[in-house]
Amino acid sequence: MGKLRTGHLVEAGLWLSLCLVLYIYSFEFDQDIEIYKFGASAWPRTIILLMAIAAIGQLAHHWVKGDESSSDMISAAVDDGSEEAAHEAHHEGLKWYLSTLALLTIPFIYMRVPDWIAAAVSAEDSGLHLIRIVVAAILIAIVVYFIRHHRVRVALMLPLFFAALLEDFGFYTLAPFFIIGIMYLFGERRPKPMALVMALIYGLLLLLFVNILFVGLPVGNIKPFYDIGSWVVTVLQ
Amino acid sequence: METFDNFLQGTVTLFSDPIGILIFFGGVIGGMLFGAIPGVSMLTLAAILLPFTAHLSPEHGIMLFSVIYCTGVYGGAITAILFNIPGAPENAPTAFDGYPMTQNGQAGKAVGAAVMCSAIGGVVSCIIMMAATAAIADWAISAFGPPEIFALVFFGLAVAASVGAKTFWKGWLSILIGLMVAVVGLDPVGGIERYDFEMPYLLAGIHFIPTILGFFAVSEIFVQAEKKVRGSYEAPKMGVEFPTMKELIAHKFAVIRSIVIGFFCGILPGIGATLAAFMGYNEAVRWSKTPEEFGKGKLEGVISSETANNAATGAAMIPLLALGLPGGALTAMMVGVFQMHDMEPGPLVFINSADLVWVVFAAMFFANLSIIVIGFLETKTIINLLRIPFQFLAPMILLLATVGAYAVRGLTIDVVVMFLAGVIGFFLRRSGYSVAGIVLGLILGKIGEQTFAQAMQMLHFEWSGFLDRWIALGLLIAGFLTLCGSIYGAFFKKHKKASVDSTA
Repeated sequence: MGKLRTGHLVEAGLWLSLCLVLYIYSFEFDQDIEIYKFGASAWPRTIILLMAIAAIGQLAHHWVKGDESSSDMISAAVDDGSEEAAHEAHHEGLKWYLSTLALLTIPFIYMRVPDWIAAAVSAEDSGLHLIRIVVAAILIAIVVYFIRHHRVRVALMLPLFFAALLEDFGFYTLAPFFIIGIMYLFGERRPKPMALVMALIYGLLLLLFVNILFVGLPVGNIKPFYDIGSWVVTVLQ
Repeated sequence: METFDNFLQGTVTLFSDPIGILIFFGGVIGGMLFGAIPGVSMLTLAAILLPFTAHLSPEHGIMLFSVIYCTGVYGGAITAILFNIPGAPENAPTAFDGYPMTQNGQAGKAVGAAVMCSAIGGVVSCIIMMAATAAIADWAISAFGPPEIFALVFFGLAVAASVGAKTFWKGWLSILIGLMVAVVGLDPVGGIERYDFEMPYLLAGIHFIPTILGFFAVSEIFVQAEKKVRGSYEAPKMGVEFPTMKELIAHKFAVIRSIVIGFFCGILPGIGATLAAFMGYNEAVRWSKTPEEFGKGKLEGVISSETANNAATGAAMIPLLALGLPGGALTAMMVGVFQMHDMEPGPLVFINSADLVWVVFAAMFFANLSIIVIGFLETKTIINLLRIPFQFLAPMILLLATVGAYAVRGLTIDVVVMFLAGVIGFFLRRSGYSVAGIVLGLILGKIGEQTFAQAMQMLHFEWSGFLDRWIALGLLIAGFLTLCGSIYGAFFKKHKKASVDSTA
């Protein structure tokens, strides 16, 4: 096994699985092009081949050298402290990654599940909106439950969840809660500074982008959030 | 003499028009600010302003974007140095040494070097651009066809693979991820859908602005979040100490070398400031007697990268104006400005709109010059951003990034893509991969495939055709040698332990 660890094997396995999936999918567009004899799939397949070679090379490197970095590399990725923080956190284990990935499914659950439920019960637009609100409320409750004890994982997931909710609930409604959530995750607990900073950031963003630059931000699709967003835009513009 | 007369004429036209002056200074300050505010970049500003340029004259529209380009490239260095968040890919190498300098309490000196060298690189580049536009454009047109551009992309990627990641293999894997992301969408020859997974959004490909924002700005916030939660976060130490003239003179060869590298990278269509900065930095490492000090806070790293990327800005205008080929994201947006005014950039612009060309050239010259004055004044204000606790800065950065990603196309899915890129970037960074490599692969991937396809068609699918083109052959050989050297180094050279005792 040389200096190989389980993590190295998992890493190589992930890369090679990715290569396999991409290679199999490349048959979907493996078509000839009249003026170009290599076709549409030659370029991506070359990249996949190089990726597989690099993954095997990386595995061989781990076998021979373990976690040592190459002598001629300018190791910014190492020196930015991200890997150091990971080591200090002692959560390199597979369990941590899997539970993080599980939490990261929340935004995607919101993006898919309401449509499935609506299709199953043949709901109209208003019904779909109600389903979206209920699903969002349940998921927000789950996030609130996890926020105190799994701050890193929630910090990774919250922006993605915010993005997933944007289309339906709008920037104007969600942004204040998002600002407070991020401040909380970064360790701020004092209500007054939180409220002040939230008002300041929210006000500045609206002033700059809505009032001065007339950037159209998402107002949302669901009532009353759509009405709130539209009202803010009307007032500012 | 004719060049000087044209320059004077352009200067007079620029500064005799109150609206032109307003737009010029708006662009200078806006470019610097958006380049400097973490989480947004000059591209965000340009993307936001693009629809509004329809209300401006073509001179004002193109001039605004060219000024934003010059000052934004510098502005991105501030965030690269202070927060390890490059404002744009061309500032990524600046972060390699700039951020460690900040952590060592030398933020002021690093920013000061960036101010001086950005201005020097940009001004010299502008002067050469004005003096030699026609000749250089002629040479590039005749000497650089698709085989040469493809060979240069290959060489650039081979060089970039050795920068930023923990190992050579991770460097290449980072670049290959970027190349793979660039494949998503329609293929450049036959328009065949690739890796769209039957999602209409993916048909147009994954847009580079949300991806860049995600990999750089958002992943940095996640890294800081982890440190903060685990108690290993330390606010960067702050010091205001600009480099002395003696220090700058001591690095004169690095400045000259980076100007030459930056200019030639900038002039080649599709290459631009990003590769210029990487190559400027890489050559500084190669030529240095103490290469092991790079990546740990060496002033020469900041000087080389910042001189090269600003030197590329003037040169990048040559293929845009002479050939209609954008060298990067911002010059691509300039093509959009031309098109909104029913104009096509290309040789005819020099004939039909010579005034426009010289107003733009004059504006770029003065924008680079103004970096010294406005840059020094503004930088002192921006350094004070370090005093803001990160828990207050983080939501601001994330929301600015949200607006930036959304403003590009008005799609919330772009915001999702950005945050997803942030999560992926976070995991890759903590495993020793290079997000700068991914972004470089993404940007050069499309150009690489397109020029490869054109080259092969041009050479009738005969690989031996490359042997007859000495520039392409030379670049390919240089790329292969760089690759072989890196593989040899990865297995046979003495290795060092991963620096878990780094200053981060």
